[in-house]
Amino acid sequence: MRLYSFSSEETLRARRLLTDWGGGGYLSKTQYQLLEQETISDLRTINIFLRLVLFLFTLVGVGATTGLFFVLSRPSEQAAGVFFLIFSAVCYAAAEVAVCQARLYRFGIEEALAACSVGFFCAGMQATFFIRYSAKPDAAQFLVPAAGAILSLWIWRRFGFSYAFPAAMMFILFLPQHWTSSREAQDVIVAAIYAALLLGVAAARSRHRFDYLEEAYSLAEALLWLGIYLIINLQLSLLDMSAQWWRGTPAASEFARPFYWGTWVLIWCVPPIVLMRGIRQKDRFVMAVGAITAVLTLVTNKPYLGWHRHTWDPMLLGILLTGVAVFLRRWLARGPGGVRYGFTAARLLEKDKQWVGVGSAGLGLLSPGSLTPNPQTSSSDFKFGGGESGGGGASSEF
Amino acid sequence: MAILARLEQWKKEGKISPEQHVQLAGLSRGEPLSVYIELNVLLYAGVLAFVAGLGWTVSTWSQQLGDVIVLTVLSILLAASFWYCFSRASAWSPAETPAPNPIFDYVLYLGSLVWTLELGYIERRFHLLPGQWDLYLLATAVLFFVLAYRFDNRLVLSLGLSSLAGWFGLTISHWTAGQDDAYRRYALVYCLLVGAAGALLQRRGLKPHFFGTYLNIAANVLFWAVLSGVENQHGYGLWLLALLIACGASLAWGLTRRQFVFVAYATVYGYVGFSMLLLRNINSESAVLSYFVVSAVAMLALLVQIGRRFGRQA
Repeated sequence: MRLYSFSSEETLRARRLLTDWGGGGYLSKTQYQLLEQETISDLRTINIFLRLVLFLFTLVGVGATTGLFFVLSRPSEQAAGVFFLIFSAVCYAAAEVAVCQARLYRFGIEEALAACSVGFFCAGMQATFFIRYSAKPDAAQFLVPAAGAILSLWIWRRFGFSYAFPAAMMFILFLPQHWTSSREAQDVIVAAIYAALLLGVAAARSRHRFDYLEEAYSLAEALLWLGIYLIINLQLSLLDMSAQWWRGTPAASEFARPFYWGTWVLIWCVPPIVLMRGIRQKDRFVMAVGAITAVLTLVTNKPYLGWHRHTWDPMLLGILLTGVAVFLRRWLARGPGGVRYGFTAARLLEKDKQWVGVGSAGLGLLSPGSLTPNPQTSSSDFKFGGGESGGGGASSEF
Repeated sequence: MAILARLEQWKKEGKISPEQHVQLAGLSRGEPLSVYIELNVLLYAGVLAFVAGLGWTVSTWSQQLGDVIVLTVLSILLAASFWYCFSRASAWSPAETPAPNPIFDYVLYLGSLVWTLELGYIERRFHLLPGQWDLYLLATAVLFFVLAYRFDNRLVLSLGLSSLAGWFGLTISHWTAGQDDAYRRYALVYCLLVGAAGALLQRRGLKPHFFGTYLNIAANVLFWAVLSGVENQHGYGLWLLALLIACGASLAWGLTRRQFVFVAYATVYGYVGFSMLLLRNINSESAVLSYFVVSAVAMLALLVQIGRRFGRQA
């Protein structure tokens, strides 16, 4: 089913690990050079920045070609739909050829072609089978997001593009809108589909412990947990009603009370479950989602209960996060050899340091925007806010 | 062959020692699993959330709390942060210096953010430098540069660079006429200054690992400034020439130093600039789309060639 052979993918993984180990001082230079020769792959890879640019220009090229075709031929809406389906097939075939013949691997070009095939397929189905401006909604229209989800999942399995999985999850979000108008039912359906996928992923990943697929399944599982949490946390799904959220007005009236309070219980249950599973599996992505959902639960608890938010709440959250980080670091460091239960706070690989360095440089530019002292205005009224740009960071409200 | 089997084979062939085998097999199984990055993210998020809450509280309650309490609390936080950093810091070295402990960088970051908060509050309340807000930014930038170089901190270096950019921006905002042109010229001066300072400090061996940060910021500001000049309806010739030179330099730098982010800058900014120029007087849809088809294919061919020669990752 997968387009790349097990040995090709494992060879690439071994090469990546060798680079990490060489940089971390676990191998001598001679050993690294010797072993590197044994991990030469037949696949064509490329630097991440060139990959992004190739992805971009492939999208531009495919989009412009399609646009030019429609401008020159001016087909009817239904004919345009058929052409979209044809373009989708062409793009998909081109992506397969790019991998099978040119041996491209995460090269940008085949990725953009696969992405276009999904987009064109959905557009084609919509235009061919469902009249867009019909007064009466067509119940069968769920086939469009369903097809998008299935094709995305297929691409995830076949090509291994990690972002195809969240794309499938996004398509699934649109499915229940065509089946029911009840908000509760929609949430339950999406959560149930995600849960079913989660069971499938959890079952499948047990067969891939320590091989190259483990990371892909780990990411998929983490995204599914996050998806389930975001669906059941009604305060986050109501983010468009931000004013209501900040005022702390309860949103319970929007939903049946048992459903509303059931989700409140669930948002407290999910984070520890996810965190525990991540820790037991030693799964970085799942642990991260456990931590993120725990923070989101703390942040949304007050609006859930209809309590007023205080201006110092973020300070308390900051103290909590910092305290947890400091405690964990010290607790782990005090273990034998700086390790407890298979975890360490120490940096093991050079790339971790590079990640933190790059992250620091980028976040330093972005983070302090809200704190920037703003230019003085002539108004004598005291108001702390309304900066424009720059300074100690960047922009806007104090 | 899976990595564990491969390691076993390398051990049998004597390419790695049994000790290395144990260590590397453990690493590939995640034993132990390092949570170094996760703890750094938690610390960063914690500091940011704390200062955001502090800013929100000060802006909401300052009139009820009064200046004395607000300034006392902010000053205590500021003094405590800087005292912690100066008392814990290891001796200064021009080379890359590891932080004395894991929370050190974030305490310095907290102090720097509280500084901007306090400065903003003081000026808002007491108007010490009416009409000369930019001087605060300049002073802040200088302070952040000093702190970044003293404590080897990239977070604070980025704060310093953005404060300096803010100073340039605010200086121009005092002017009323010809702002776009002035912004462009000052942006060029900014990237020249940042790039030259970064290069000079690197040549002198003063925290040479900071050079990448300087160069990336300077390159992006330069390209934005030049692109905005190319967008002009008249007098864009010099800007076009500047774009050509910038793209060429960025491409050459990226290829020779194998820093492909600069190749990406050259291709994307260059493409945008030339597309703006070529398409500005074309109204025909098909002509525009034809241009994109041809140019995208040409760019793909060029990038694939570059990738083949230089950009192979693994």
